[in-house]
Amino acid sequence: MVKDPVCGMEIDPQSAFASREHMGNVYYFCSENCVNQFDRNPHSFVMQNPEKVDFAGSATTGFNPNLRLSEIELPVIGLKKGGQPGAELIKQALNKHPGIEKVVINPIEGAAVVRFDPQETGVLDIVNAIKESGYKVGSAQKQIGIEGIHCASCVQFIENDLATIPGVLGASVNIGTQEATIEYLPEQTTLSQLNAAIEGWGYKTRVASSDQPADQQEAAHDKEYRSLMNKFWLATIISIPVLLTAYPQFIPIIRDWSMETLRAAWFGAALLTIPVLIYSGGHFFTGAWAALKHRSANMNTLIALGTGAAWLYSTVAITIPGIFPEGTSEPFYDVVAVVIALVVLGQALEIRAKGRTSEAIKKLMGLQAKTARVIRNGQELDIPVEEVLVADVIQVRPGEKIPVDGVILEGSSAVDESMLTGESLPVSKKTGDEVIGATLNKTGAFKFRATKVGKDTALAQIVKMVQDAQNSKAPIARLADTISGYFVPVVMILAVITFVIWFDFGPAPQLVYGLVTAVSVLIIACPCALGLATPMSLMVGIGKGAENGILIRSGEALQTAQGIKTVVLDKTGTITKGKPELTDLIVADQQSVTGEELLRLAAAVESISEHPLAEAIVEGAKTRGLSLSKPEAFEAIPGHGVIATVEGRQVALGNLKMMQRLNVELGDLESKSDTLANDGKTPMFVAVNSQAAGIIAVADTVKEDSKEAIAVLHKMGIEVVMITGDNRRTAEAIARQVGVDRVLAEVLPEDKAHNVHLLQAEGKKVAMVGDGINDAPALAQADVGLAIGTGTDVAIEASDITLIKGSLKGVVTAIEVSRATMRNIRQNLVGAFIYNVLGVPIAMGALFPFFGVLLSPLLAGAAMAFSSVTVVSNANRLRSFHPKFSAK
Amino acid sequence: MTPIQIVVTLVGIALSIFIAWFFWLAPKGQTRISAGVSGVQEVAITVKGGYTPDIIVVKAGQPLRMRFTRQESAGCSETVLFPDFNQSAKLPEGEEVLVEFTPEKAGEYGFQCQMGMLRGKLIVE
Repeated sequence: MVKDPVCGMEIDPQSAFASREHMGNVYYFCSENCVNQFDRNPHSFVMQNPEKVDFAGSATTGFNPNLRLSEIELPVIGLKKGGQPGAELIKQALNKHPGIEKVVINPIEGAAVVRFDPQETGVLDIVNAIKESGYKVGSAQKQIGIEGIHCASCVQFIENDLATIPGVLGASVNIGTQEATIEYLPEQTTLSQLNAAIEGWGYKTRVASSDQPADQQEAAHDKEYRSLMNKFWLATIISIPVLLTAYPQFIPIIRDWSMETLRAAWFGAALLTIPVLIYSGGHFFTGAWAALKHRSANMNTLIALGTGAAWLYSTVAITIPGIFPEGTSEPFYDVVAVVIALVVLGQALEIRAKGRTSEAIKKLMGLQAKTARVIRNGQELDIPVEEVLVADVIQVRPGEKIPVDGVILEGSSAVDESMLTGESLPVSKKTGDEVIGATLNKTGAFKFRATKVGKDTALAQIVKMVQDAQNSKAPIARLADTISGYFVPVVMILAVITFVIWFDFGPAPQLVYGLVTAVSVLIIACPCALGLATPMSLMVGIGKGAENGILIRSGEALQTAQGIKTVVLDKTGTITKGKPELTDLIVADQQSVTGEELLRLAAAVESISEHPLAEAIVEGAKTRGLSLSKPEAFEAIPGHGVIATVEGRQVALGNLKMMQRLNVELGDLESKSDTLANDGKTPMFVAVNSQAAGIIAVADTVKEDSKEAIAVLHKMGIEVVMITGDNRRTAEAIARQVGVDRVLAEVLPEDKAHNVHLLQAEGKKVAMVGDGINDAPALAQADVGLAIGTGTDVAIEASDITLIKGSLKGVVTAIEVSRATMRNIRQNLVGAFIYNVLGVPIAMGALFPFFGVLLSPLLAGAAMAFSSVTVVSNANRLRSFHPKFSAK
Repeated sequence: MTPIQIVVTLVGIALSIFIAWFFWLAPKGQTRISAGVSGVQEVAITVKGGYTPDIIVVKAGQPLRMRFTRQESAGCSETVLFPDFNQSAKLPEGEEVLVEFTPEKAGEYGFQCQMGMLRGKLIVE
């Protein structure tokens, strides 16, 4: 007996309807339908060993003889939470399609479940239909390196072969990069299957080189550093003999050489410096030439001009000494070799130091988990994290990293989120809570459903935001930028003027003095130090912020934050937790019920109410371990309260009006209630069987560290204002607790921005701290908008700065980071300005008339090389910045 | 002054004027980009000692796609910045990198490397 490769039926080869030979094997078919299908695409049926084909498991591809219909779950990207209009559009598009039996769209999980007839349609068609409706199917894209592929015709074969694998949506092979790019549904095929298809054609696969962007830059830096160091060593070694011949009067044996020997040695030096010019300093000349073609000039131009002029003059001087006046025909090849050696060394050190400035981002990228344990079709699979799809269920064990963002389905644990939020204590998580990718699961095991993968995860967004911000411009850099735009041509003109002045008015030999000073001017000027001053500090400062859970969107935000004089804090959710909690329980004196019983009864009544205050009471009862019985005859009286029967007793909860309505004698409870209200709490009277039983108060409580953070803001000389839509009494109660200077109460949400504007009109730089959704206009209005991020939602549009950890301490740290970074930038800028403003005139010989001192071009080269290294090193000092509220 | 000093002085002055003219005053070539069939304005830019082309004229309101290819290893040019658009891109040597955005407002916007050694200009009309 053999198996029909199409339907899987066991048949006798003798009685088979037809047979086909394909790739050296003979296949038998039960029916015309099967053989026709095979003929259309033989390869898809013989990809796997016919003996091992698991027909039941291939339901997704549709060839199950027992089940006519197949079902597939496809992740759909771009569905809104409510599902409209996406769900309807996709349904319409699919229903028009032949062979579709049923479409169910689950917008919460972002998935489409499609039941279809595999005889009539295929997964690829379904995916295309969804794409046509304007939505994308969540597929993975993977690059696979193919070793030694050179023949263009093989490309076609491999592409076709890959395309026939079920679940592959598209494949293309690039012969230039020797890589295949494959788009596929990771639910249906695996990487190893893709690799196998390529290897089937006799090629070896490898990890694609474009898959390691993080290391790539580092590798490029390393390569550049090594190449610069090689250049440096060659220039240094050659500098030694060249220096000896340049100062013959100081060197014992050479001192006694005759003029002829010395002249011969100078020719030697001329030849020796050629490799220095070509190899060690070649990039200055090519760079200068390339810039020249763009009618621009940069540091390369200066170095190339300086060393080039020195070499040309020296060579002319030793070959035809007659054309120059007596005593000026001495070469200075030493300038060529030594200056190139020093500047190249400076560049190498700069690259090293620069690498350290982006350490923060490297650390962030390194947090990403490599693999995820996904449960598909009831099986646990360890797959690379790139293959995880939205709606996948992922198992996480204690001590493991959470691979992507999601929501816990079952289980609970404590999660260490310190790497992202700076929050040092582990956060407890239970079913329904959000987990963030790259955080560390501590104690328990749980399963969660992926909600964000790839570039949508919180970590990926953080990395992107930080990178963008690091490369943005601070307004303070504008001046430096404008200056460096004119800098190099100005220096060139100054060099020309220097030469002319020395030639016309200088002491003899004028030609040598003129040339040496002009070359010194070209070499000492350092546009790089100016250009590097801001970006390097910005890199470190913004990275430092990210390490402490503060995402600064741009250099501009960072610069503005240093000058903040007033901080406006939204009350709900910013100063307070934003969720009411049960705070007080008062039992009436004459009552026999205990506090616990009072709460139990009240919570029972509220258990079917949907009011947020009711939730707080129920939650409070549950945390005290009370079990609630079911209320009967529940009635909500708008503007008054609620009433119900619990365990045979009539229990009423509500305000004063409610109690009056029931004719309840309150006694001293009324004054107690006023006291609670004055503290900003919401008191509710409880009556049992029309007898006053007590008061239950709930309040939105203050976050533990709000008071401390506000105190530090005061110490920093910053006025703290609270803004809220709440009534003045509640607002002032909270303000007293945390020590806020000014309270703006009863402000309608739409008026918050206006109030921020009024504060700005007082002439102060105002920062607004809010939640990013309701406060968006106020955040945008403020000079700096700080949004408190919650969970995985970090890219808040309206904000300049996002505080990942929901604490006000972040505001303090943000201002501290800003102040420290700006101080560093100013040091760099001032240093670079002073260096150039002093260095250039000294090189021109400004000191010569007074002290007779002239700067040697060698010293100019050393000064130039180390000025930019100093700037980068100073920026690196910021790495040791520690915020007042240390994260770890 | 000797005649040779006068010659040197005159040559020096002429050279200074030439430098100022060459780098600042002379008109630079502009590259005008027009949108293709897809409605995207597309331009390939080579990065080697400078941006080629370095002055790019585009239309406002149409998406712009710039394909940067860096053909040098000098560390300076490894990042290209469009500060006015808050865009930046790392340019690994020899690899084509796309920078895409839609310039909405007419005006002149500079783009440059991180240190400002290489500069280009985007003119939006």
